[in-house]
Amino acid sequence: MKTKIIVILPLIAILSACSTTDNLDTNTVIIEDRGTGEVDAIAYGQETFEWKGGEQVANIDAMPTKERESVVAALKANGGKLVLYFDYDTADISSQANQEIMKHIAFMQDNPKIRLRLEGHADERGTREYNLALGENRALSVKQLLGFGDRIEVVSYGEEKPQSSENDKNRRVEFIYK
Amino acid sequence: MNLSKWLMLVLMFAIGNMHAALKVTVVKKDENAFPIAISPFKLIGNKSQDKDISKIIHDNLERSGRFDALIPAAVVDKIDAKYWKEKNIEALVTGSIVQESDDIYRLSVNLFDVYSHTQLFTRSTRVHASGFRKIAHQLSDYIYEALLGENGSFNTLLTYITVKENAKGVKQYSLNISDSDAMNAKSRIRLDSPILSPAWSPEHKYKNKKIAYVSFQNGRSEVFIWYPFLRKKIEKLPRFDGIASSPSWHPNGKSLVLTLSRKGNKDIYSYDLTNKKLTRLTLHKDIDTEASYSPDGKSLVFTSNRSGQAQIYIKNLENGHINRASFTGRYNANAVFSPDGKHLALVHRVDNDYRIAMLNIESKELSMMSNGTLDDSPYFSPNGDMIIFSSHRGGKGLLSVVSVEGNRSYELSAYDAEVRAPNWSSSLEN
Repeated sequence: MKTKIIVILPLIAILSACSTTDNLDTNTVIIEDRGTGEVDAIAYGQETFEWKGGEQVANIDAMPTKERESVVAALKANGGKLVLYFDYDTADISSQANQEIMKHIAFMQDNPKIRLRLEGHADERGTREYNLALGENRALSVKQLLGFGDRIEVVSYGEEKPQSSENDKNRRVEFIYK
Repeated sequence: MNLSKWLMLVLMFAIGNMHAALKVTVVKKDENAFPIAISPFKLIGNKSQDKDISKIIHDNLERSGRFDALIPAAVVDKIDAKYWKEKNIEALVTGSIVQESDDIYRLSVNLFDVYSHTQLFTRSTRVHASGFRKIAHQLSDYIYEALLGENGSFNTLLTYITVKENAKGVKQYSLNISDSDAMNAKSRIRLDSPILSPAWSPEHKYKNKKIAYVSFQNGRSEVFIWYPFLRKKIEKLPRFDGIASSPSWHPNGKSLVLTLSRKGNKDIYSYDLTNKKLTRLTLHKDIDTEASYSPDGKSLVFTSNRSGQAQIYIKNLENGHINRASFTGRYNANAVFSPDGKHLALVHRVDNDYRIAMLNIESKELSMMSNGTLDDSPYFSPNGDMIIFSSHRGGKGLLSVVSVEGNRSYELSAYDAEVRAPNWSSSLEN
C-alpha cells in the first residue's frame, strides 16, 4: 500500500507534498513542523530520495551478476578498497579515505549500471542509538562525495555488526556493489 | 564503610525457564537493611500445597537491598514478640492460603511490628489460581510502603533484549518481558536481526500495555509497536529515507517520540497513534536522537552533537526553547528523566569508559552511578529509587540495578545469553 504524506511547513516551505516509499499499515501521515526555526541547510544531498517513492535506488537495469563480479574484482586487484575507516565519533572523511573515494567515483563512471549499497557502522563505544545515527552519517558522508545519488542506497547498522574486536576496524563504511 | 556488609550475596532466585528467565544476584545491600521474617504460609486444602508465596515476597524484599529478609523453617502460628526481638527481627509477615473451590483460594496476610506489638496491616482476599504471583508482588509493595513509607516497585514489568548465538554462529535476538523479579519471563519476538530499545507504554492497566521497539527485520532500523497482552497485529511506524529509531512514550500513552532520518537529517518527531500525525520537534543538521519526555510531558530531553560532541539538551515544549543540560565531559548521551522530573540518568564518558551518571538538572551536579566500561540504556524504577542499565561482567552483557544513593545493587544475567536494553514499566493495575 502506498502512503501519502502531506507536509505542512509553517516556517520553511521547502516541501509541499510527497510520498514515501514504504508499505505502511498506516494511511495518511500528516507532518507538522515545530523545529524552532533553526534554518540550517539540510545536510548531505539526499533530496532525490524523498520524491521517488518506491525503492531508494533508482530503477535502472541492474548490471548482470557475472559482469559486476568481474569489474569489482578488477577494482580490488587495482588496490581499490571496499571498506573505509573513520575516527572516533566523527563522520569526517580522512584524506586517505578521500583518495579511495576518488577511485570509486571513476569506477561508477566507468560502470554506469552498477549500483551501490553503503553500510555505515560504529564501534561499540557510546550508546547504541547514537551509534546508529553516527553510522548513517558516515555512509552519507561517503555518498555525498561520490555523487550518483540515485544509484546509492544507505543503511546504518550502528554498532550492531562489528567485524573485528578492534574498535578501529569497526568504525567503517562498507561498499557493496550490486 | 563496612566492607563485610558488601559481601557478594549470590541468591539464585530464578532458574525456571532456561530460555528467558534471568538469574538475580544481589551485589550490595543497605548497611542498615530492615530485618524482617516472612513465615511460610499456612496451606489448607490439597491444591493449596504449592501456592506458598512467602519466597516471592522474601526475594522481592531482599532484592531491593533495603531488607534483611529470612524465612523461618516452620510456619509461625502464634506470634512470640520476645522470641523475634531476641533474633533482632523487627517485623514479621504471616499468612494463610485456604482452598475454597477448584481454582479459588482465600488468602490472608498479616504484618506485625515486633517492637511496638502492633499489627501494621492485615488483609484477606480471594485469589484465582493464576493470580498468586501478582498478589505476592502487590503484598510486597504494601509491606515496603508500610515499613519504609515509600512506594515499592514490585508490581511492575521489565522488558529487555537477549542475544545468543545458535549452533551455526548466527546471533539470535529476543525481545523479552518478565515480572519485576525476572520471573514469569516470556520471549515472543525472536529474530536473527538486531532488536534495540524496547520501551513500555505508560498505561497502568495490564492489558493496555504496549512495547515500542526498533527492529532490523526488514534490513534497516524501523520502529514497531507490540501489544503483548492483546491479540493485535504488530504495528510499524512511518519512516522516511533513513533510520527510524529510539522510540519513547509520551506520559499519556497516546503518542511517542522517535528519531527519523529524512534527507540525511536525523531529528526528533512525535507520532500520534490516534490521528497518525507526525510532528517534527527538532530541526538541526547534526544528530538529534534518544529523545524522552519529562514525567509531566512538558519537556523533552535528547542527545545532540550540535556542539561538535554528543551532549544532552532539553526542549521546553511550551515555549519551544532548547537548552543544553550537560556540561561536564565530552560525551553525554541517552538521558531519561527521573519520575520526579528533577534528575536525569545518562551515559557519561570518563576517560575511555562509558558509565551511568545522574545529573541534577537544576544544580548541574553530576554523580557517577556505575563503574563499567560500556554501560548503556539507563532507566529509572517507577518509584525512582533504582536505575537499571546495560552493563558487562566477564565480557558478557547483563543488567545492573543500582539505588540512586549507590548503597544497594543487584544484577540480572542469563546463563547463556547477553542481556541488554532494559526498560521498567509503571506500576500495574488489573
